[in-house]
Amino acid sequence: MISIALKMLFGDPVKLAGLVLGIAFSTLLMTQQGGFFISLISRASNIVGEAKGVDVWVIDPQTETAEGPKPMRDVELFRVRGVDGVADASPLVQSTATLRTAERRSIAATFLGVDDARLLGINPQFVIGTPEDLRRPDAIAIDRLGFSKLWPGEPLGPGKVIEVNDRRAVVVAITDALPGFSAPVIVYTRISQALAYTPGGRNRLSYILVRLAPGADAGAAVARISEQTGLKALTSAQLQRMTIGYVLANTGIAPSFGVVIALGAIVGILVSGLTFTLFVSDNLKQFAVLKAVGVSNLRLLGMVATQALVVAFIGYAIGLFIATSFFDGVNKPLSDLKGFWLPWQVAALSAGAVLAIVLIASLVSIRRVLSLDPATVFRG
Amino acid sequence: MTAVIAKGVVKSFGVGDTRTLALRGADLEARAGEMTFLVGPSGCGKTTLISILAAMLSPDDGEVSVFGESPFRLRRSQLTRFRMRTVGFVFQQFNLLPALDAAENAAVPLIVQGVSTGKALKKASDLLDRLGLSGSAYKLPGQLSGGQQQRVAIARALIHEPRLVVCDEPTASLDAASGRAVMELLRDVAVSPERAAIVVTHDDRVYSFADRIATMADGRVVATTTTIASRDKETG
Ligand SMILES: Nc1ncnc2c1ncn2[C@@H]1O[C@H](COP(=O)(O)OP(=O)(O)O)[C@@H](O)[C@H]1O
Ligand SMILES: [Mg+2]
Repeated sequence: MISIALKMLFGDPVKLAGLVLGIAFSTLLMTQQGGFFISLISRASNIVGEAKGVDVWVIDPQTETAEGPKPMRDVELFRVRGVDGVADASPLVQSTATLRTAERRSIAATFLGVDDARLLGINPQFVIGTPEDLRRPDAIAIDRLGFSKLWPGEPLGPGKVIEVNDRRAVVVAITDALPGFSAPVIVYTRISQALAYTPGGRNRLSYILVRLAPGADAGAAVARISEQTGLKALTSAQLQRMTIGYVLANTGIAPSFGVVIALGAIVGILVSGLTFTLFVSDNLKQFAVLKAVGVSNLRLLGMVATQALVVAFIGYAIGLFIATSFFDGVNKPLSDLKGFWLPWQVAALSAGAVLAIVLIASLVSIRRVLSLDPATVFRG
Repeated sequence: MTAVIAKGVVKSFGVGDTRTLALRGADLEARAGEMTFLVGPSGCGKTTLISILAAMLSPDDGEVSVFGESPFRLRRSQLTRFRMRTVGFVFQQFNLLPALDAAENAAVPLIVQGVSTGKALKKASDLLDRLGLSGSAYKLPGQLSGGQQQRVAIARALIHEPRLVVCDEPTASLDAASGRAVMELLRDVAVSPERAAIVVTHDDRVYSFADRIATMADGRVVATTTTIASRDKETG
């Protein structure tokens, strides 16, 4: 019976194509836009994700997002170091400033100033140079995407001199850092220099990065730090979640992507649903013949469900293939969409939506098959 | 042997002003080993009556017995199984599945009964050979003439060796020559000692193929006559 169902389906290539394309289109829209959305908002937390080796992030209690930390006093660093279970704590200063080249090109960048001695908090891959190079005078490390924007067409290399707020900076290293959300270009430098590049005095710590003593329990340490310092202590994952939550709540991104994704689902439901209903009603006579020769309603249900599932599978596979090809295509070191990817959760959710679409479509159409009077086969 | 008995069958369609009384107490007997024709003017209830005999439509009133069974006393699922085992159909519009080739179409009732596809297709192409369609087993219905399609439909009606074969105007969509050929074939293969065949037609060119002719008018069977064909059989 399954093979008869499949032959009915493949025997009508025009409708099959309509069905498959409807599902493929809606899968593509949902996965591509969904992945784009997740990738985009995740950028806000890239600086956290990239700082490996950090067990706990300590921030001012007012801080709401990793990209907009509120300053803390320098003395907090020593208070955090005094907490039980903290093996080491090092400061990180984050600021935004504009880079200007001799050729008068400029670009806004996120500056991350790391502890002069420890260099903790840097973790992206270095394409040219090493973190140690940051110890040299006026040294900065820029990401390769930023480099290509400031010196388009030039080969990656150290030695470029640029100006930041009237101060000199020398590119000593090039990283593969993932772009940020508010300022895509990421610059690493020593803390003293990061402070010098932007006006203001001391007491501007953005984060205190904690490494826990071996065997120390992260949850307990987080609680102790908060309690003893009055600051907020979070694991990397917690800080990332908080940041993404902030972006969702404070930008119009979620609703605008939501509209497109919903449109994808609705168009999918309409196109595939209508085509499938049409397909089934065109085949009503055939189902009636099968009913007449003794096929039970349950088996007819199985046939229609098989047809729907096969359509869903093919359409979903095509849509997903195009979407993953898109993400493969754009996730290149020098692409503006660097780091964009299709989370499997998005693919899984879309699969669920597609299943729901064909389920609804087949439920709507099967009703006519089930209520079909087999005696209609005798009528012209 | 009496195979099919219908007594006082009543069937109406619709309600209120649109209610039509299609059968007003129809009586019919059909014997095994015979071909019974059901004739009469359009709208007199022929299709309705054989739909009921074929267990596809339930009567409002009256008694139906098919080889001793009363299909309308069965539960719905058993009724479906009864139809699957006991009845074969031939329709005016052939009603083949367009995406299946001739052998697959003919094999459908066996596949529905759970016979393996390989066995079913083998049996189907053997039967198609017997029906003069040797070269056409792999052709789609769209590639066959009307007469050939109706032969495939006859193969489908007979492949599971049902005890009752019902045909509704099997020649009405065919030209005279193919219609005759189809009737000869039905006469040849559909009639066997344990099987009853009931053929609805108002094509008087083919009356000579009948053993018995039941004439209907206005929802009733008004006359039954035996024909030369059956008298030949009895004497010969
Ligand atoms: N499904 C139906 N709904 C309403 N009326 C029907 C239906 N089937 C048949 N009828 C009516 O019942 C009467 C008998 O029809 P039918 O059995 O098809 O006659 P025949 O096959 O002899 O031409 C006709 O008046 C027809 O209009
Ligand atoms: Mg009729």
